Amino acid sequence: MIQKEIVLLNKLGLHIRPAAQFTKIAAKYKADVYLIRDGMRVNAKSIMGVMMLAAGQGTKLTLECIGEDEEQLCNELMALIVNKFHEE
Amino acid sequence: MKSDPPATASSAAETVLRGIPASPGVSIGRVHLLIAERVHVPPHKIAPSEVQRELERFERAVGQTRAAIERSRERALTVAGIAVGKIFDAHLMILDDVVFQQQVRARVEREQFSVDYIVNDVLGQNIEIMRKQPGETFRERAADIGDVLNRLLRFLRGEGDVMPQSFSEPVVLVAADLSPTDALHVDRHLIHGIATDQGGLTSHTAILARSLDIPAIVGLGNLSTQVHDGDSIILNCNSGKVILHAGAATLAEYRGKQERYLAFQSALENLKDLPASTTDGHEVQLWGNIELPFEAESVLAHGGSGVGLFRSEFLFLTRDTVPSEDEQFDTYGKAAEILAPRPLVIRTFDLGGDKLHGSINIKQERNPFLGYRAIRVSLSRRDLFRAQLRAILRASRRGNVRVMFPFISGLEELREAKAVLAEAAAELTRERIPHDPQVQVGIMVELPSAVMMAEQLARECDFLSIGTNDLIQYAVAADRGNEAVAAYYRSFHPGVVRMIDLTVKAAHKAGKPVAICGELGGNPVAAPLLVGLGMDEISTNSTNIPEIKKIVRTLSYEECRRIAARALRLDTAAEIQDYLTGELKKRLADLPIWFS
Repeated sequence: MIQKEIVLLNKLGLHIRPAAQFTKIAAKYKADVYLIRDGMRVNAKSIMGVMMLAAGQGTKLTLECIGEDEEQLCNELMALIVNKFHEE
Repeated sequence: MKSDPPATASSAAETVLRGIPASPGVSIGRVHLLIAERVHVPPHKIAPSEVQRELERFERAVGQTRAAIERSRERALTVAGIAVGKIFDAHLMILDDVVFQQQVRARVEREQFSVDYIVNDVLGQNIEIMRKQPGETFRERAADIGDVLNRLLRFLRGEGDVMPQSFSEPVVLVAADLSPTDALHVDRHLIHGIATDQGGLTSHTAILARSLDIPAIVGLGNLSTQVHDGDSIILNCNSGKVILHAGAATLAEYRGKQERYLAFQSALENLKDLPASTTDGHEVQLWGNIELPFEAESVLAHGGSGVGLFRSEFLFLTRDTVPSEDEQFDTYGKAAEILAPRPLVIRTFDLGGDKLHGSINIKQERNPFLGYRAIRVSLSRRDLFRAQLRAILRASRRGNVRVMFPFISGLEELREAKAVLAEAAAELTRERIPHDPQVQVGIMVELPSAVMMAEQLARECDFLSIGTNDLIQYAVAADRGNEAVAAYYRSFHPGVVRMIDLTVKAAHKAGKPVAICGELGGNPVAAPLLVGLGMDEISTNSTNIPEIKKIVRTLSYEECRRIAARALRLDTAAEIQDYLTGELKKRLADLPIWFS
């Protein structure tokens, strides 16, 4: 299991389009992936789950990847977050 | 549009509500209340042998729902534009949520309930959680999930897609809010009016009602909790007035209004392809004001001969990030192609003031209307401005595109903006990107200082366009949104009328055309005055075009000039307005403004 503390730097936070980008990547992998905010833990392969976190810009979250390809998954998601979801 | 319910029994008193008129017309009918509450799906046990069949039923329904949402998306893009289309993108994402689908399958296998029950339970829980969160975004998201759920359930039950609309008589649809799907699939032959508690002028309901030509009023507060199916209801969508339980006298009055309105509208239809020329042959161009590219079609459908104001900042308001040059090129190009060879005047971003946006950092200002807005933002955000001008120059190859700078106070800004335009054109040439370097350049005259400098400004550009909304507010120093001073905001203030006169004369002295693109242009009472002052183009919301055309075609240029000359000699706003109203009434007694 990999756990990473992340801060959302993009302007929109996990609004519907960024959430969709996030879940699309998550769905490609076998590993399970969760996002945790203030004790609320959601399945990050679910767009409805991710939206429910109401995570705006500056929100601190824990990313948790569990499974055989967890490392690649975690890397790809981290790249998306660091690149601010390719927002302008 | 004839459905005449008998007057309601005297037990229910006539009630009047006011909302925002979103799509014009008068409708009289019976309420059909659309209840957005979720349906109850009873837990229905299935046998273990039926599990497989249930799962297949689910797959099939998901496939049908996906196809249906995609159809809605296409239709939305055609009739209502990108903003409404994007709602259905979100619906597709919700439907294809892998966890949702996995949960449904796992629970059907484990719990052995019908898939209808499980689907309703899983999505229902999501809706409840979203509804408990504070904020408009979650309320909308809950509505989106509800919309997907309803469609999925309808397919599971084999009912087909959209809401059943088997009314024995025409109805007025009343709802807290219409789901995008319901709004998109309203059948205008059965539904003669729409009234919703929520929504504003740019809500999807309003946009769709206008595109589908169904009279509508939005923002009515709690109408849906005050009515029952079958109640008598009158919508005066020209004024935003709703009357419930109308008595016989009121009903008769509105039936009259409706007939006159419809008669007038059908008379206007015949003018569509005729020019806006006075009886003595003076032609004025009637143009439309638009916010979304597809609205250019509506301008043409209403007999407009171009677009005098494309409010480009709407690109910002329907999305969350700064629009890229390519996206802008696409948007402007689409509108230009629809109109070609007729002109498309693109106003560069008018951000700031009351149109703030998250992707532009605009600090809280003590006085935003005297602050950082429009051309001032563009000139200090060269990256944004250059991208927009590049997009406009590129799009101009696809039609007759003109660019217009807002909020010009004097020659400095005009020269600076033109320099950026020239730089953008030089860049495109260097990069060998096709564009039209001969784009016409104009300015908005909306500041008193620009009126005083109009002749010099007109010499250095190709056209002027008077933005009356701002011009009036800055001329009389009154914010019409502020109730305490709204009475001072007077469109027919003699000072304002003189400013318009000065601007027209100055433009003509410089040999340049002049347009009006503020709300005054859509005011029938003002039309003879504007024509008489010598306005070359009048640009207004497309739905106003036929009426203004009718007025222009009824009057002679000579009498318009006489009316304008007389108005210029009057002392007060009230005198001018009364005079103009009287003159118009004498000549056109059947205009809807006299009775709505």
